[in-house]
This record gives sequence, C-alpha cells and structure tokens, in this order.
Amino acid sequence: MFDAEKFIEEAVEELKRRIKGKAVIGISGGVDSTTAAILVHRAIGENLRCVLVDTGYMRKNEIENNEKMLTKLGLSVLVIDAKERFYKKLKGVVDPEQKRKIIGELFIRVFEEVAAKEKAKFFVQGTIAPDWIESGGGLRDRIKSHHNVGGLPEKIEFEIVEPLRDLYKDEVRVVGCKLGLPPEVYERQPFPGPGLAVRIIGEASPESVKIVREACAIVEEEIERAVKDGEMSRPWQYFAVLLPCKTVGVHGDVRAYGAVVAVRAVESLDGMSAAYSKIPYDVLERISVRITNALKDEVSRVVFDVTNKPPGTIEYE
Amino acid sequence: MSRPVKVYVVDNGGQWTHRIWRVLREIGCETKIIPNTTPVGEIDADALVLSGGAPRIAWESPKLGCCTDYLDHFHGPILGVCVGLQLMTVHFGGQAGPSEVPEYGLSKLKVIDEDDLFKGLPKEFLVWESHNDEVKATANFTVLAMSENCRIQAVKHFEKPLYGVQFHPEVNNTEHGEEIYRNFVNVTRSR
Repeated sequence: MFDAEKFIEEAVEELKRRIKGKAVIGISGGVDSTTAAILVHRAIGENLRCVLVDTGYMRKNEIENNEKMLTKLGLSVLVIDAKERFYKKLKGVVDPEQKRKIIGELFIRVFEEVAAKEKAKFFVQGTIAPDWIESGGGLRDRIKSHHNVGGLPEKIEFEIVEPLRDLYKDEVRVVGCKLGLPPEVYERQPFPGPGLAVRIIGEASPESVKIVREACAIVEEEIERAVKDGEMSRPWQYFAVLLPCKTVGVHGDVRAYGAVVAVRAVESLDGMSAAYSKIPYDVLERISVRITNALKDEVSRVVFDVTNKPPGTIEYE
Repeated sequence: MSRPVKVYVVDNGGQWTHRIWRVLREIGCETKIIPNTTPVGEIDADALVLSGGAPRIAWESPKLGCCTDYLDHFHGPILGVCVGLQLMTVHFGGQAGPSEVPEYGLSKLKVIDEDDLFKGLPKEFLVWESHNDEVKATANFTVLAMSENCRIQAVKHFEKPLYGVQFHPEVNNTEHGEEIYRNFVNVTRSR
C-alpha cells in the first residue's frame, strides 16, 4: 500500500540533500505542482521561488485565484505574463505534437530567465508518472509529449528535480492532503500543462481561446452545481473542447453558421484509463443551452463525447 | 513463505507497465520494473509478469528482448499480459497475429474455466482491452476465457506455471483485476 507519510519524509530528506542553494519551481496551482512546491518548501524554505506563468491558455480567473491561493499557503509567488510570447510562437501551428513542443520549450525559456535572475541552479516541476509514460522513450510509444517531459528542449540551463515522478494523481492527492493543502486544491480536477491550447483543435489563436475558456467555465459551473444539488457525482475530469469545424444553426429565424463545442467528462483513478461519465441528460442540456446562448456568435452546436480511454485519450491532443 | 512474494514486472514498453507494478505493490508484493533485456540469471524474483507493449507480435518480437529466455529458464510462475501472452503462446507452438476485430477499452469477458486465475470470480465481467494483435491458436495451453471478438482471452500451460491474459487486469476500470493478480500471486505463494 502507498504510505504517504513515509513518502513525504523520504522526499523532504532527499530534496534537502539534493538542492543546494536556490530553486525555482514551475507552478500552475494544480494538484501536482502545488504538492511538489509544498514538499520543496518544507525542504529548503525561503530558497524556493514559485513561478506562475500566464501563458494566455489558462482558464477563467485562474491566474488571479491561484496566485492568491499559493500566497496564502506561504509560498513566494512570481507571476510572469507571457501571453503575447505564447500566442506569437503558436501562430499558425495546428499539429498537436508541435504545439506541445513549442509550449514545453517556451515554458523552459521563461523559467531559465527567472532562474538566472534568482541565481537558482535547480528547477522543480510537478511531473507525475503518466507524464513520462505517455511521452514515450525507448520501447514505449509516444502517445503525447507532455510539456514537462517529451516537450523539453535538448539544452537546458539548470538541473531538473521531479519529486513526484513515480506517483499517480490519486497518490499525489493523498500526499497533498497529508501536507495540509485545502480540499479545493488537492481535489481539483486535472488540467493539462499546455492548458487550453490543447482544447482548441487547430490553431490556438487568442480568439479561439476566448471561446473555449468561456465554454470550459460553463461546463465546470454547471457540473459543479449539479454535483452540489445531488444530481450526479463529480467526474474525475470535465471540460469543453473547441472543434475545428462549423455547422449550420438558426437564431431568431436567421441562419447561423458557427463552431462545434464538444463536452468531455470522464471517470478515472489515475488518468491511465478512463470511462466517459454518464452525465444526466438534464445537466447536459443546461450546458448546451448556456454555451449556445452565451457564445451565440461563435458556437452553433454542442456535442457530448462518449469515448473511453482507450481508444481515446482524455484530452483531445 | 512468510516473506512478501517477489514479483517483478518485465517492461515491454506498455502504457500500463507501471500500473502492474502499482497493483502488485498494493497487494503486498515486493516488486520492481525490470528491462526486458535483463539476463535471466540476474533475476531473483519468485514470479514474473511480462507487460504488454507496442511491439507487434508478427514482426517485432525481437523488441521483446529476453522474454523467451524467461519462458524457458525462469524457475517460477509467469503471467504474460497482452503481447506477453501472445509471445508465450507462439513460443510454445501456437499462432498470433493481427486481430480481425481489435478491441480497445470496454469488453465483456466470459470465463470458460476458472482454474487458478479466475478462482472465486463471476463467470462474466467487464474488462479493459487495448490490442491490435491476438492469439489465433494455442498448443499446450488450456483456454480459460474469451470475449465476443477474441476467442483466446486467457490461457494456462498444460504443465508449466505459465499464464496469459489478453485483457489488462492491472487497469483500474477492469472489474476484479486486482483479484486476478492476487490469484496469480497465490499460485506463487503455494508453490
């Protein structure tokens, strides 16, 4: 059985031994990176600087909320606005693997700049087992390049430390809980490192981000409300994806022609396999009505994804 | 034996290699993942699980390293999963190749003979699959289970403690998966 207390004790000892001087951590405010930050903070205290990058692909109000939450946890947080840099690099890019690699590299460049300023020789990230398993290598096929593993550039200016590398999400949650994180952090649903960029099929333009960001917010709000009202249990992960095709609709007797948004929700333990969530039709309908009304100029249709993993993956790219 | 049973996971590059390791750890085994190129003489385990992986059985079996050595010379029980099962049956005179109907995700398993692996489990339950190839014919093995689109889902060797499953009991969505690994470990323990 996984023993979280023993894990914490050993990880903190190992981090104390390994990290000399200052370290920088790439933090998103999700379960993995926040748990990793608290572990490293226990080991090296004030020598840890947390860097929260606004890639332009974060969810609604996420940067502001996470900065507050992380500061409240006693971490020293630096927010870097890199929106324009990310948008510029991803302009015209449609291939999913190329997107992930560009994002992975740009993340590292931003972290290198901070590390140089802070004179930190160590860079921490919240990599967990599925990240390196799915990124492939050796015998293992590459399913997708996770930004923090397969998406890393070849030349990197610091030493990478990954205290959660052998854990799965459910184990990280137990560690996070034992470290005293609030439930809204350790129970938070997974969110991919490349963010909304991989929830836009095709070019992840600033205009498309606005659409998918709003659609994701609606999916989250409606599902969380339905959970609160006892209509359903909370899925492991739930979000919206903007598909690269348009379909016809009718708005007030006038022809409409807009994009298709897919609603995705899955049940899983560790993300390595998943079954689609059997969301009640009423909840799906409320999501559909809200998305097609709130985004009437952009979205004409909402579909629900009923694919398991395998054969699908949870995210689309 | 009173010490924990040592079951090593031979890595054939599967997405779920690490999951096998995790399930074995959760049921109290001493376990680690070893490369499939580890010489058999260096393995001090009581039993082995050959993981699944991307190599295609008909033309990529060299990628499966020393697995056939383990089948011939390892002293304890072996459970082959997915391509591990395919290699095992081919090695002892059977045939395997591309599936007519590959299975991905959900499938219903029908147990034909509960033998050791399915002891105490229902006759039908839901399992998770992910395979492009399958076993077409076996020699020297009893077929223990099937699914609608795959006739050979689980086998046991007539004489040796060799077992194989086409589906993935290590995947959390597979029903009774942990019990299948427990049954395999019990075979090892009772030897």
